[in-house]
Amino acid sequence: MFRSLQYDDRDQVTLTINGWEVAAREGQTVWSAMAVNGQVETRRAALSGDARSAYCAMGVCFECMVEIDGLPNQQACLRRVSEGMNVTTQRITEESEADDAGL
Amino acid sequence: MQAFDCAIVGAGPAGMCAAIELARAGVQVAVLDRAPRAGGQIYRSAANSPVPDVAALGADYAAGAALISEFEQVNLTHFTGADAWHLGDDGRILFSHEGNTQELRCREMLLCPGAMERPMPIPGWTLPGVMTAGAAQVMLKSDAIVAEGAIFAGSGPLLYLIVAQYLRLGVPVTALVDTTPRQHYLDAAPHLLRALRHSGQLRKGLALLREIRTSGVAIHSVAERLKVVGDNKAEGLRFVAAGRQHEITADTVFLHHGVQPNLNMTRAMDLDHQWNSEQMCWQVSADDFGQSSIEHVSVAGDGAGIVGADGARAEGRLAALNILRRLGHLSRAERDQKAVKDLSVLSSIKSFRRFIDCLYRPTDALRLPRDPETLVCRCEEQSLDDLRKGFDQGAQDPNTLKALTRCGMGPCQGRQCGHVVAGLLAQWRDEHPETIGYYRLRSPQRLLTLDELSRYHTVQVEAAE
Repeated sequence: MFRSLQYDDRDQVTLTINGWEVAAREGQTVWSAMAVNGQVETRRAALSGDARSAYCAMGVCFECMVEIDGLPNQQACLRRVSEGMNVTTQRITEESEADDAGL
Repeated sequence: MQAFDCAIVGAGPAGMCAAIELARAGVQVAVLDRAPRAGGQIYRSAANSPVPDVAALGADYAAGAALISEFEQVNLTHFTGADAWHLGDDGRILFSHEGNTQELRCREMLLCPGAMERPMPIPGWTLPGVMTAGAAQVMLKSDAIVAEGAIFAGSGPLLYLIVAQYLRLGVPVTALVDTTPRQHYLDAAPHLLRALRHSGQLRKGLALLREIRTSGVAIHSVAERLKVVGDNKAEGLRFVAAGRQHEITADTVFLHHGVQPNLNMTRAMDLDHQWNSEQMCWQVSADDFGQSSIEHVSVAGDGAGIVGADGARAEGRLAALNILRRLGHLSRAERDQKAVKDLSVLSSIKSFRRFIDCLYRPTDALRLPRDPETLVCRCEEQSLDDLRKGFDQGAQDPNTLKALTRCGMGPCQGRQCGHVVAGLLAQWRDEHPETIGYYRLRSPQRLLTLDELSRYHTVQVEAAE
């Protein structure tokens, strides 16, 4: 279980993570905002669709790719939260791509 | 277009120390770093820590704040939030900055890409809840976030440091599962005498281990056969220690067995690399001043071979002295005279490293997967079994195996699987890793949108200052 060691709530922004409105500190990474709010599933693996989550938290594993404001493949550990940001677990897999191709 | 005298990629201890030397000598320096503030991984947020009790992170971390402040006072152009994605041997650097791609040119280039955690492909390592010990450090330093009741598993100073930091902060730790084999203590013993030249570090390390031992946290030593259990997320760790199987419940498992250079930048530039058999990883081939096989490209810090933060500082200053010589600010004799102290510091640090590298040498059991189902390539989901089939079909080198299986072709561009694939091929062919080689990497080194490329923009030296 992730938790923050900070005890004050200054410089807060509000963002949405998988439909939940949450508060986070300005400048905080998107991944850490997800982690403390229990939203640890960042993406689905491209072939199997298995749940994945951040592994390195420093930009070298690309496991934390989420969708931010509709744009996919955003590394949650590198992006910072901002007011009104909309973050969702990335569910793009080979299967979903095949579905989209039929549109 | 006018060029900067020197561009430094990476603002960790190596990059900051080099930049300070160069800027003080009147050189026009550009520093590019992805973070909002200098520090690198080791001194991340050291100057503006969000951790209420920052002293718990230790004196070495606190020392980073002074370096950051010194760096921020010298006259140079620091691009924060700058993610370099192409480095040309023509002195051209392309980088993403606030959603745009920018271009700058430089006469001399100093690469300080730093280290990354050595991947630990044990069964279950791709489950949500499994992270690196480095990740625990990053979350703590940058956002003051901790995982309660986590298991820390593996071997090496960074693992013990984060456990001690958690304990000092009052964060409950479920267990430390130490994989250091008994044999390593015997193997490391002959290096102990030379390591004593750096006795301060040795004392610090011993104090850290004592602090953990006396804290009451559960410690399992000489652990083997690690497996993360759980269906859709980590639910615990199974391992064998003291002659029996254990299974400990936890929703977070932090793994660690050393760090290795972050190779993508130096490989994509096609610098010569060599295998470091003590550290079991590739590193850039460079002279004492970090000058690489491309003469106007230098390297410093852990990205050029693991030396630690103090070693990185010395290497940064040495690289700067050589760049000053190349730019005509110093004669060879002046460079050599100014280099004496740092060369001696580095030699004593390297003696200490040999002891540490031997004691915490990554074991084959953790470096290379054993279970056929374990994924090697996390992005393209290629398992040990998939790779072995590719090998049996004739893919005997990393690039052919990549073409056949897609292993290494995903968004991480081989950062996670590169060393594992090279290690597996070396084992299967019974040949030296130098013979096996590594992936051929290319730019761009990060994910780019066409939209971003369409907003391309060139940085003029005058405008930047």
